Amino acid sequence: MSAAVLEVEGLVVDYGGVRALDGVDLTVAPGEVVGLIGPNGAGKTTLLDGVCGLVRGHGGRVVVAGEDVTGLAPHRAAARGVARSFQRTSLVADLDVMANLLLGRHRHLGAGFLDGLLGRRRLRDEEDRHRARCVAVAEHVGVGGYLAVPARVLPFGVRKRVELARALAAEPRLLLLDEPTAGLAPEEADAVVAIVRDVAGGGGPAVVVVDHDLRVVAGMTDRVVALDHGRVVATGPAAAVAAHPALASTYLGPTLPGGGPRGAREPAPGEGPP
Amino acid sequence: MTELARLVVEGVALGGAYGLVALGFVVIAKATGVVNFAQGTFLALGAYLTYNGAVTWGLWFPLAAALAVAASAGAGAGLERLVVRRLAARPPHAAIMATIGVAVAGDQVITMVWGFDHHPIGDPWGASSLRLGGVSVATVDVAVLAVTVVVVAAGAVFFARSRLGLAMRARAADGELAVACGIPVHAVDALAWALGAGLAALAGVLLAAGTATARPDLGLAALRAFPAVILAGFASVPGALVGGLVVGLVEVLTAGYAPVHAPWLGVNVHQVAPYAVMLVVLWLRPAGLFTASPARRW
Amino acid sequence: MGPGAPTPGGRGRRRAAWAAGGLAYLALPLVVDDYWLSVLVVAGITAVAAVGLNLLTGYCGQVSLGHAFFVGAGAYVAAVVGSTAGLPLALWLPAATAVGAALGAATGPFALRFSGHLLAVVTLAVLFAGQHVFRNWTWLTGGGAGRSDLPIASLGPFDLSALVVAGHRLSFDQGYFWLVWAVVVVVVAASANLVRSRMGRAMVAVREDDRVAAVLGIDVARTKVTAFALAGALAALAGALHGSYRQYVGPEEWDLLASIEYLAVVLVGGLGTVGGPVAGALFLGAVPHLVAGVSGALPFVARGAEPGVTVGQLDRLSFGVVIVAFVLAEPRGLVALGHRLRARLAARPRTRPRPGPPAWPPGCHDGGRAGDRQGRLRPSGPARAGGDA
Repeated sequence: MSAAVLEVEGLVVDYGGVRALDGVDLTVAPGEVVGLIGPNGAGKTTLLDGVCGLVRGHGGRVVVAGEDVTGLAPHRAAARGVARSFQRTSLVADLDVMANLLLGRHRHLGAGFLDGLLGRRRLRDEEDRHRARCVAVAEHVGVGGYLAVPARVLPFGVRKRVELARALAAEPRLLLLDEPTAGLAPEEADAVVAIVRDVAGGGGPAVVVVDHDLRVVAGMTDRVVALDHGRVVATGPAAAVAAHPALASTYLGPTLPGGGPRGAREPAPGEGPP
Repeated sequence: MTELARLVVEGVALGGAYGLVALGFVVIAKATGVVNFAQGTFLALGAYLTYNGAVTWGLWFPLAAALAVAASAGAGAGLERLVVRRLAARPPHAAIMATIGVAVAGDQVITMVWGFDHHPIGDPWGASSLRLGGVSVATVDVAVLAVTVVVVAAGAVFFARSRLGLAMRARAADGELAVACGIPVHAVDALAWALGAGLAALAGVLLAAGTATARPDLGLAALRAFPAVILAGFASVPGALVGGLVVGLVEVLTAGYAPVHAPWLGVNVHQVAPYAVMLVVLWLRPAGLFTASPARRW
Repeated sequence: MGPGAPTPGGRGRRRAAWAAGGLAYLALPLVVDDYWLSVLVVAGITAVAAVGLNLLTGYCGQVSLGHAFFVGAGAYVAAVVGSTAGLPLALWLPAATAVGAALGAATGPFALRFSGHLLAVVTLAVLFAGQHVFRNWTWLTGGGAGRSDLPIASLGPFDLSALVVAGHRLSFDQGYFWLVWAVVVVVVAASANLVRSRMGRAMVAVREDDRVAAVLGIDVARTKVTAFALAGALAALAGALHGSYRQYVGPEEWDLLASIEYLAVVLVGGLGTVGGPVAGALFLGAVPHLVAGVSGALPFVARGAEPGVTVGQLDRLSFGVVIVAFVLAEPRGLVALGHRLRARLAARPRTRPRPGPPAWPPGCHDGGRAGDRQGRLRPSGPARAGGDA
């Protein structure tokens, strides 16, 4: 079988009468960064939900690293190395950043609850090793100074980065990012792009990233898949997909790096792409 | 056969009263998302205040009952205003514990004021019976059914036609949107609690009428309405009524037949039976009988 | 030393605290009279059950109104294994714990389908069903009359109800104090370990959002069932001790009010804190006696057969009021109250500056009380990062 990290075949998801995904195919190779774009309601988040197991498909298959996880509980997909960040951050408010990062490494820690009760020293040593990994990830992402801070009080930009750090701390095979730059200032968004590119390159995880900011998508991804009404309407490099006629009717005129304001007018007849 | 008919009528009447309590739960839960564990206190309050009005002060029974219900409704609104409103942002256990605390304190106040004696509440039905279609049924059961039907019908009209009813439905459906539309959500919430408490109090009056009495453990009847609410799925109004009916029937029929036909079920199994039924139903249909199955999740 | 390791000063303080605690443990029964000793014994037993409920509801977020059932079950198991079968404490205590764990694990699956208020009502059904069984399985439970043949706690040759030390015969309460509070210490230490471990973090994640927890790789089903099993085990352990101490178990004591009392203990002490269950048990255990003491001065309280409010009624009333007061005013319980007092005291000028909590980087807004959702953690001073306060 292929070495693809993710194979989605004909995934169909219904939400009580509304067909959110209508037979979506997606294949992601190791180390590839794939962008997922499309108008609101196109099914991007639903696709991520379907891959990580939060939503059960009514048809089709999801195969992660060679294992069919279709219809299984999310922790099974996580066990195969899927990590996910959420659009509205999903950190545990009452735990500090370090504990949240350790949660990201949950599948790597072997301790059962009995070990927890007894507080065995061997366990503590193992945890220390994992803590060290979390510190490294936190510093890479730039939140190293916040490790002891409870998640509840984090400023928004830091929260988003901790959310990303938690997913990275899982050392995933497949990283699913849901709007990791939404609400961030341009510099912060650029930092996130740099981190993801850095992590994915050279033997890192495959990444599927949903984002509305085409500049971010263009900078981060190797190729882009466009969804509309639950179907794939275009796939290819960012520039080509963004200019695809099928999207122009549903998207306001897209922008490419160096172009005009987001959502600007379509190119006038005779003008080439900006 | 006539025994069965009599039990059925009794069960349906009891079910009607439970249905009113359940309806009270649902109104409150739909508006503010809280399970009011103090419903039993309002139920008892309704009965005891009616006793005060009708027996101690000699008022005309329907007037005493109406005053009792109104007073309980006021207490319900007060509870919402003073306690529940402050807990809106907290996790569910906060409201659960708060209403439980109110229930514990409230039940104590009731026994402190009225003592432990059992008081007949002065209703006109007493132990009399009617003959309906050749079957002898207790008058009070017929009266309870009649009152329940009237109240439910009035409620249906209220929710469907009146502005206030519409406001309450809007609030229940989408609180934020209701605020955005200018609906006075706080007032609506207080009204919902007033209605919920009032319904419980009315049920209390009905349950204490006839050969029954206002007694300290009357409030526990509200607990038996819980299965009714759960069976229906918390958000369903007709479901609450049907749930109440089911619970009433299960309780009465079990009490009537189990000791003879299934003594191994134990003494007083009729008190547990509604809960057992609830567990079974929930196991098969977790959302209750009246709400659509939620979208498939893992 | 990594970030957040305990400072030498902190370690020394902790050793002193342990030493003081140990001294108190040994000396209290010799110093305090039997009346208050029995209050402490009962509070200790309640604390053990409350630790279990705290793990289930406070940390894992599963509301349970059925806790009293598991406590009662433990007492009945103690009677059966300890008296009917005549086995020693080393067997009946673990047996009760194991049965409690099994019953808890059997209840756990309900939490997979329901949460919040619905789960509360479902656990209520378990409570009522349990009480029904207690009343009716007379061959096992003695039915309505209950059982008075509970085993006396004895460890080997030492009969804890009648210890002899240096020629003095100690009372029932004295021996049981040592047994019960030793169990409390072990149970609290284990729970402290657990909440700092992987499983503890998983439980909190499940409480916060069980879908996100699943995506993180947590087996939510196993976590919830484990939490229920732990709560059941500790409840039954407490029940066995309770039955042995009271030398009686009956069906009427394991009703909704009993479950509410355990919930109140956890809430008042501080939901989701390690010390909360003990603080709550001591506080709520002492309150009725304080009420009784004070009631003599209140005019409307009945003495003897006079009209007026009985002490018992006043006690129950204040119980309800305390619950509501804590929910409204101090939802994080006595533990948080203690932290606030300590912070208030620390703010006063001191001659020797003490290290305070590490300064947070700029931009962090202290949520404080407003908008405080679960209202649990504060960063405690020089504690290890990555754990619970």
